[in-house]
Amino acid sequence: MSVESASFAVSWVSEQSTGTRALQQEQQLNRFLAEVERRALRIAEIGVRDRDDALDLVQDAMIKLCRNYGERPSEEWTPLFYRILQNGVRDWHRRQAVRNRVMVWFGRGTKDDDEYDAVAAAPDPIGRSPDEELANSEAMDSLELAVRELPVRQREAFMLRTFESLDVAGTAVAMGCSEGSVKTHYSRAIHTLRDKLGEHGPAGPGNENDDKV
Amino acid sequence: MTKSDEKFAQQAKELFDASVEELDAATLSTLNQSRHRALAAAESQPSAWLRWVPATGVAAATLVAVMVILPGPSEVEVMPTAVTDMEILLGEDSIEMLEDLEFYSWIDMADEGNDVT
Repeated sequence: MSVESASFAVSWVSEQSTGTRALQQEQQLNRFLAEVERRALRIAEIGVRDRDDALDLVQDAMIKLCRNYGERPSEEWTPLFYRILQNGVRDWHRRQAVRNRVMVWFGRGTKDDDEYDAVAAAPDPIGRSPDEELANSEAMDSLELAVRELPVRQREAFMLRTFESLDVAGTAVAMGCSEGSVKTHYSRAIHTLRDKLGEHGPAGPGNENDDKV
Repeated sequence: MTKSDEKFAQQAKELFDASVEELDAATLSTLNQSRHRALAAAESQPSAWLRWVPATGVAAATLVAVMVILPGPSEVEVMPTAVTDMEILLGEDSIEMLEDLEFYSWIDMADEGNDVT
């Protein structure tokens, strides 16, 4: 085999392995995003109180993760993704505050929330009875309301730890703070929520255990 | 954390998961499109050296603009001087004139003195 043909073969094999690696990484990213996207949307939605804006924020976070951190180990993706998303939510609130000031200046009100929502009025897709659906929906509404009223850092800690099941270290990366701060924010959030939603918890009466772990 | 705190968190998680399951088809479709858009954006990302092309273009345009806007060395004065020098050098009696510069200066001064008187 000549030197030229040998170097061509090495280069071809190298390109093949690079292409295979890129394809594997894309498949991994696809699986990761598919796994996380719905919970991320609901977390963003609780943060910004608007589904369309939440969808935009989730898409931005997906694009930034793929572009900037796709090469990083997949174990780092979850905290990085939520860090990008939380930054997006914070930026959204800043822009909204400016926008509201401008709208007040021009004498415009907020949008009308009383429009009929055909999707919300559609039957439950997972086949629960109307009573169960209503009870769960009301409980989730109360929980969402209480979570929204938490201070920003407590809200972030609670949603990442409880809803996304991130561990303390992952939550610290996502929030950009120390693990000690995460524990403090999370503990305060839980106690504030329990005070607001009552001793029986978010799902209603029937949970009276109060033993220390 | 007390047991009841943990139970509270567990219930909150269950409610949240139920609300995630209730997401409608239109929303899920939008999420799916967003995911594919993100993956396509990562694929179409330019290589490292291509990222410098816009910056290089802007720098080159700025340099050209500076060169055009800022005044360079004045050419108006240079040209007559150059022409005068050439005339002196090419003239037949230029060498003699250059040798007797002091004499011609004295004549000029004398002429000016006569004009005044």
